Amino acid sequence: MLNRPLSLWQIPLLLVALALVLFPIFWLVMTAIKPPIDWNASPAIWIPSEPTLINFRTLFDPAAIRAYGVGGVSQAATKAVVGSIVASVSATFLAVALGLVSAIGLSRYSRTNWSTPLVILSGRMFPPAAIAVPFVIIFSLTSLMDTYPGLVAIYTAVTLPFSTWMLKSFVDDLPREMEEAAMLDGKSRIMAHLTVTVPLIKGGLFSTTMLVFILNWSEYMFAQVLSNTELATIPVQLAKYVTATAGTLYGVQAALAVLAMIPLILGGFFIQGHLARGLTFGAIKK
Amino acid sequence: MSNSRLNASAKNQGRVFTIPGQVVSLVVLVTPLLVALYMSFTDWSPTRSSLSGASFLGLENYQELLIYDNRFLQAVGRTALLAVICLSLEFVFGLALATLFLRTFRGQRFLFSAFLSPMMVLPVVVGYTFWMLFQSNGPVNQVLALIGVTSVEWFRDSSLAFLAVVVTEVWHWTPLFFLILLSGLNAVPENPIRAAVILGASPRQVFWKVVFPALRPVIIVAFVIRAMEVIKIFDEVFLLTRGGPGSATETISLYIYKLAFNDFQLAYGAAAAFLVLAGSLLMVHLLMIPVRDQLLDNRG
Repeated sequence: MLNRPLSLWQIPLLLVALALVLFPIFWLVMTAIKPPIDWNASPAIWIPSEPTLINFRTLFDPAAIRAYGVGGVSQAATKAVVGSIVASVSATFLAVALGLVSAIGLSRYSRTNWSTPLVILSGRMFPPAAIAVPFVIIFSLTSLMDTYPGLVAIYTAVTLPFSTWMLKSFVDDLPREMEEAAMLDGKSRIMAHLTVTVPLIKGGLFSTTMLVFILNWSEYMFAQVLSNTELATIPVQLAKYVTATAGTLYGVQAALAVLAMIPLILGGFFIQGHLARGLTFGAIKK
Repeated sequence: MSNSRLNASAKNQGRVFTIPGQVVSLVVLVTPLLVALYMSFTDWSPTRSSLSGASFLGLENYQELLIYDNRFLQAVGRTALLAVICLSLEFVFGLALATLFLRTFRGQRFLFSAFLSPMMVLPVVVGYTFWMLFQSNGPVNQVLALIGVTSVEWFRDSSLAFLAVVVTEVWHWTPLFFLILLSGLNAVPENPIRAAVILGASPRQVFWKVVFPALRPVIIVAFVIRAMEVIKIFDEVFLLTRGGPGSATETISLYIYKLAFNDFQLAYGAAAAFLVLAGSLLMVHLLMIPVRDQLLDNRG
């Protein structure tokens, strides 16, 4: 709009806002590098005088923390990290691949009416606690409880409407004439889409993949109710602190939280340009 | 929309494209939902009987929920209150921040990313982080002590726990309002603004008479999207307060979760879920009537 510099009174306002936004993240990162004695000190310690990486080491080697006099009550997070990667990556791949095919179908060969977005949105409105109920029943009948295929199936189905709708908005932006020209050149319909449509929406495809990954990576409740001994993801592991009887391992939990957060902050940064579109189901373009 | 050179038979062949996605949704989502819908009319519970052995109650579960279940009704009211408070605050803060970003200043790109970062943090991590911040010996209380407010027990008092949830949620999602409103503001055409300025309109008049009407659809989209999410709120509250103290911060999702997975009242929980779904569908439908063309027409 009108390009003017900040007024004098607006500068402190902006700085205060920035401090408030960054403080929780700052606190989390500081906790992750605190030695055990600083974890829950009274009064709380803002910046540890002796920062350490022991919390991160403890995640993969629970005995490491014993050197600090903590009773080694923590559980290795290796399984949860691997589990999160396996579940999120496979579900994201499936949801985006299926979503891409559906998006081309919807954009090029179907008429969408007002009910289509409503059906898609209703999938996102249903409380996960409620979807989890029938899943638990069906999965116990088909012995998919506590397995990765079960979790991947849920993640794929839950994020598929989202990936379809977002990818459709990118395909809609392309003029049809390019695909039609390729078909007139004798390419089959599928080849025309593979060689013309897909390369042209690369950016959109990347952003959609990233957003679906963020949804899967962050998911907590389904993983929580489906997991028992075999299945583990980072959010489930993180939430365990509430039930830990042997006191809370603040620093170790914070270290895991920081590890979990890094890919999302980086990913979010790369797809900033498409963030508004993705988060509003294509209602906002830029 | 369909005036292309692709003929009708191509359209039919092309339908094939949407089949794989539909099959997956049907098998993995729709089937369990239908099972759950049937279940919600029975008294089924895994500790009591098999699904076929459960007795059919008709609408009894729904009746119970809507008329007698005070805990459910309170959870609905509490979630609505949380939604109204959080969305209003997020809107005001988001709009204020977006207005600042209409100015030009150094480091604007970096600050833009920084202000979006809370949205990228996993909900469980947000819950855990704010749980640490609100500890009685935590940094929030340290800062409060500077202005003379001492020993605040955030998680022992009903209103304070609710306030903690509000603060957490507002921190987490104000960036979404900021992002949406800023893209909306940037899309407001410049000429009417210039014209209004030339005609001598005050900045206040320019905002309310020119900018705000153009921004209205975007504002509604932001509210709809956030309302849908806040109705489902679970992770942050679960880690922050577990719904406590008592049931002071128990939202709909927490209540359903406790019903289904702590008390194993799966059928009753499913009925509650379908009521919530019906309510939110109705609400979103009404809210979106003014903006549906924008959402439907992806050509922008």
